[in-house]
Amino acid sequence: MRETDSPLHSRPLACLAASVALLALAMGGAPVEVTAQTAVAAVPDLVGVWDGGGRVRRINGPNMPWTPDNFPVLNERGLAYQAVFDEAIAPKYDCVPSASPALQYDPYFMEVVQWPDRVLLRYEKDDQLRTVWLDGREPPLNEYTVQGFAVGRYEGDALLVETTHFVFDITGFDDYNGIPSSQLKRVTERYWREGEELRMTLTLEDSMFLREPASYTTRWLPAPEGYRLNPYECDAEDARRAVKYMIPKYR
Amino acid sequence: MKAMLWISSLAAVVALGFVLTSPPAEAHHSSTPFYDDTQDVEVIGTVSRFNFRNPHSFIYIEAENEDGQMVEWEVELGAAVSMSRSGWTRETIQTGDPIRAVGNPSRAAGTFGMCCARLTQPDGSEIQLVRFESDEVPLQLVAFVASLAGGS
Repeated sequence: MRETDSPLHSRPLACLAASVALLALAMGGAPVEVTAQTAVAAVPDLVGVWDGGGRVRRINGPNMPWTPDNFPVLNERGLAYQAVFDEAIAPKYDCVPSASPALQYDPYFMEVVQWPDRVLLRYEKDDQLRTVWLDGREPPLNEYTVQGFAVGRYEGDALLVETTHFVFDITGFDDYNGIPSSQLKRVTERYWREGEELRMTLTLEDSMFLREPASYTTRWLPAPEGYRLNPYECDAEDARRAVKYMIPKYR
Repeated sequence: MKAMLWISSLAAVVALGFVLTSPPAEAHHSSTPFYDDTQDVEVIGTVSRFNFRNPHSFIYIEAENEDGQMVEWEVELGAAVSMSRSGWTRETIQTGDPIRAVGNPSRAAGTFGMCCARLTQPDGSEIQLVRFESDEVPLQLVAFVASLAGGS
């Protein structure tokens, strides 16, 4: 599917309807159902600061959230990159921020802000801010970034987000398994409320390195009342400090 | 009144003893490429620095090695933003504090790193971590102790 064919693009009517619903919510009214193309969608209330820490889910690691059951099948290129990977080269040791699909599973807090034309996903980890555009705009043609370009829409009781235009990332799969991601990486997220919880299913595609899509589901709990995200302000000196403790893979 | 204020203040903080185990694997990197998790080393010395930062905090401990020479160990802890939710501040550990750390040693020869450390007083007793009322300590406790003070 070409990006322009994606159901997540070119939704001005849906965005207008979503805006109306959000305005109504802001004015204290009941959730308003809006018509988004062919489906009727209510805007789910995802606003808040959410706890994704250790009390909520298992801490990330080589087998989490990618377990033997959902671990992606690498193609030959992916296997070759993984075999030669050297931990010391990981960009995180120079404070390059974590990106999708790892960022969402990092055990930190996250804030969701819903505006009429966008959803802001703000992460305590690495001080990252992702903007999910709801106004139907297209990704810039030649602009590739660490967090990529995200567009979204409401569908049923969920927010769908599709992110593309990532830069090549030598650890773009996660922080633990030495698998890169390419400019072809496409991350789809579905957010919904389950009682007090915020839940998300993330699906990852990257035909440069993966034979088939991979997916995980996770959750957040409401942060303690009044909690505000702390600045992360990654310290480059401390980020790299432990690298000297490794026995180098290459000399 | 002075006594009541003192008791009230006492109630507003709760001293939590802790024997800390803080693997650096929380969200940034796995410890195994850097540290040998099949071994433990024990260091008893004096805190020379405490960097309360992200992505990892470090405690520096000056201690004598087997040859009687002073060595500075770098003990890797978790991210400051995560530790702060457990009541840590940059003042929790101070330069000059006596301390004991038991943890996994770094792998590269000639380095003095440690992770996943149990931190205690040199005699093995717990380090006191102070957590303020605003950090999830029940307000009822404060109110209860304050009312006792007022009645006496």
